[in-house]
Amino acid sequence: MKLNGDLIMDEQKEQNNIRNKKSLIECRGVDVFYGDKQALFGINLDIGEKEVTSLIGPSGCGKSTFLRCINRMNDVIEICKVEGNIKIDNEDIYHPDVDVVELRSRIGMVFQKPNPFPKSVYDNVAYGPKLHGRILHKDDLDAKVEKSLERAGLWSEVKDRLGEPGTSLSGGQQQRLCIARAIAIDPSIILMDEPCSALDPIATAKIEELIDELKDNFTITIVTHSMQQAARVSQRTAFFHLGKLIEVGDTEKIFRSPDHEQTEAYVTGRYG
Amino acid sequence: MDKGNKMDDQHIVTSFDEELKDLTDGLVSLGGLAQIALRNVEQSLRMNDHDLAKQTIEADKQINALQLSLEDKTFNILAKRQPMANDLRMVFSAVKVSLYLERIGDMCKGVCKRIVKGDLLNAKSPKTIDALVNLTKNVQQSLDLVLEDYAQGKAQHALDVWKSDIKIDSSYANILSAILEDIKEKPEAIEALVPLFFIARYLERIGDQATNIAEVTHFIVTGETLGDDRKMEVEDETVF
Ligand SMILES: Nc1ncnc2c1ncn2[C@@H]1O[C@H](COP(=O)(O)OP(=O)(O)OP(=O)(O)O)[C@@H](O)[C@H]1O
Ligand SMILES: [Mg+2]
Repeated sequence: MKLNGDLIMDEQKEQNNIRNKKSLIECRGVDVFYGDKQALFGINLDIGEKEVTSLIGPSGCGKSTFLRCINRMNDVIEICKVEGNIKIDNEDIYHPDVDVVELRSRIGMVFQKPNPFPKSVYDNVAYGPKLHGRILHKDDLDAKVEKSLERAGLWSEVKDRLGEPGTSLSGGQQQRLCIARAIAIDPSIILMDEPCSALDPIATAKIEELIDELKDNFTITIVTHSMQQAARVSQRTAFFHLGKLIEVGDTEKIFRSPDHEQTEAYVTGRYG
Repeated sequence: MDKGNKMDDQHIVTSFDEELKDLTDGLVSLGGLAQIALRNVEQSLRMNDHDLAKQTIEADKQINALQLSLEDKTFNILAKRQPMANDLRMVFSAVKVSLYLERIGDMCKGVCKRIVKGDLLNAKSPKTIDALVNLTKNVQQSLDLVLEDYAQGKAQHALDVWKSDIKIDSSYANILSAILEDIKEKPEAIEALVPLFFIARYLERIGDQATNIAEVTHFIVTGETLGDDRKMEVEDETVF
């Protein structure tokens, strides 16, 4: 039963549109520039812990740029400058004291095209834990590889092919291998940039099923061009347009009755 | 042109626009057929016009056929286009609206059957017939308003239609008691009076369908279902 105080709290939360979900990633006033050209404008976005947030919007609106702010991958682009504030679990990730390698070890990333290393299936997954010096014993490493492949839904398909090159797998298997590689480092966050765009519907469905399972343990942010995919896999959806965040809300709301005309125009396919 | 800040009414895929327009046009036609049926009901009642009543019964087949074809179109759009947001609301609601209109057609047919089978004149109750004609006019008004809203994609009359539905319900109740009185006074006319009961009942239910269409239109336009609390408010206002 709810006490009166709880009810008042709930009401207040609703009024202020504060969600019960804890925000793991908090972005405030994020601007990104490539040289003189500004790609993102004052992005304020909270990403809830252990749920899936999808980023949608027309090509070039800055979805990938935003995703790369979260693991500081933009740092490696010479002309790219990030301003504003991004906190992960209350820690300012752009603070000068932050160890970027350590930061990235907490964030897994999966790209549009499956990109396994030119190594064996086993080594693809073992690479991260070894690199970060997290696992030293062979037995532990074996267990880690098996568990990661298991969680990526790939173990039964590759357990007899661990020594074969990762590139010998099918596209969908390669993508799940990349997901296994990403989760092998025990990240708290997984970023996915159009992870299914090179996959057939069956492989796509497997990845979506996987995302749904992973969200119990990971905070997932996914860029997708498929409205249906965003609607299926995510709890929150953010719509970007021309470098601005136009609207963010519960996925159902965005696809049933978004607040902004631009969002409606985009999700209904009315972009002129 | 600053395309970023302007919502374009057209879909990128023109054939999708055409399909949606085709569906909307079909619903507007179906609404028109329901309006004609109800107009015929009013006239048949008023003039005891059996020929018109028979025509109306026959015309119901057309309504049923159009409803089925609209349902089919809706199904195809859902399968092919996976509409979102306002499109989704419109397409999903199209099935409901078409069914409500088809029900209205059925009820008009029901009234007309009673007109043809029973004989209104034998009821010797011109007051009740007048009351039924007035009830039909009120129901017609509601239907006209909701269909106007629907065709224009607006929900401006939703609350008015609600309020008048409450009045329709109370006229219906009054007619029922008047018929009961008549039966007590003229038990010999019972066979002619009972069909009037059914006619009143059909008309009242047509009013309900109009209210349903108003609710659906409100949902299409705003994305929100008209809450029960809002309905209660209206009912409270209207209780005398
Ligand atoms: N490395 C780069 N150097 C210069 N400009 C860049 C770079 N990467 C992105 N941009 C520019 O920044 C803007 C946003 O690009 P971004 O790749 O983030 O968009 P996106 O939403 O991911 O698009 P898509 O859906 O096509 O992947 C674009 O105008 C793009 O040209
Ligand atoms: Mg991109």
